[in-house]
Amino acid sequence: MPELDVLYRTAWSLTRSDAEAQDLVQETLLRAYRAIERFDGRYPRAWLLTIMRNANINRARKKRPDLLDDPDATFERSIDFAETEGPETVLLDGEFDATVETGFNNLPDKFREVVELVDLNGLSYAETADLLDVPVGTVMSRLHRARKRIRDHIEEVGLDAMSGGF
Amino acid sequence: MLFDRIFRRNQMTCGEVMEVLQAYLDGEVDADQARRIAAHLDRCAACDNEASVFGRIKVSLSTRQRSVDPQILDALTSYSQRLAQGEEV
Repeated sequence: MPELDVLYRTAWSLTRSDAEAQDLVQETLLRAYRAIERFDGRYPRAWLLTIMRNANINRARKKRPDLLDDPDATFERSIDFAETEGPETVLLDGEFDATVETGFNNLPDKFREVVELVDLNGLSYAETADLLDVPVGTVMSRLHRARKRIRDHIEEVGLDAMSGGF
Repeated sequence: MLFDRIFRRNQMTCGEVMEVLQAYLDGEVDADQARRIAAHLDRCAACDNEASVFGRIKVSLSTRQRSVDPQILDALTSYSQRLAQGEEV
């Protein structure tokens, strides 16, 4: 299944845990196979991501019943990306990339999540909006504000983003 | 003169470009809008500079993409295959 890596990375963005991401992908696949007769064959990735969203909401409710009435809070995460051992291979290229990384790590969870899904995982705005159960406009707004914060951080440390500044 | 006015009416302002710049960089605007944005960037150094900076940030972020542990992918592939074969999982 060519989209398995995308599913896994997306699940990791939502759960920030290898074990939970693997469980979430397995649950997504199980739900997908059970519902395959109702799938019209179009947009398989979007379909799988929608299933993942619902599976993740369900998992969050089981773990935190108090989140039941606040779907947006389902995606709140208190774990800092920089403190979490992930499966990632981080490729850094000089001071600029290191500064972008710091700016990224300093983003509020909701902003960082959208950047991860769009910039790191390659999801479209529509796919991201569906996954997070928010309007596309919210995805655009969070993305814009997130990148703006990273850009501001670059300026704060005195780097010239155009020339590299180093 | 008339052509000039018509042409300018179709041009985007800096504010309009900034509103959709991120979507443009993400390939989320249609072809016509992309052409109009590109035309504005060609003649506006300030906006072109903004586009370059945000484009560079986007490229930098994309290099952070996680490579998935092959063992995890193998396990998920195996799980998927067992499901497809109708096995109990």
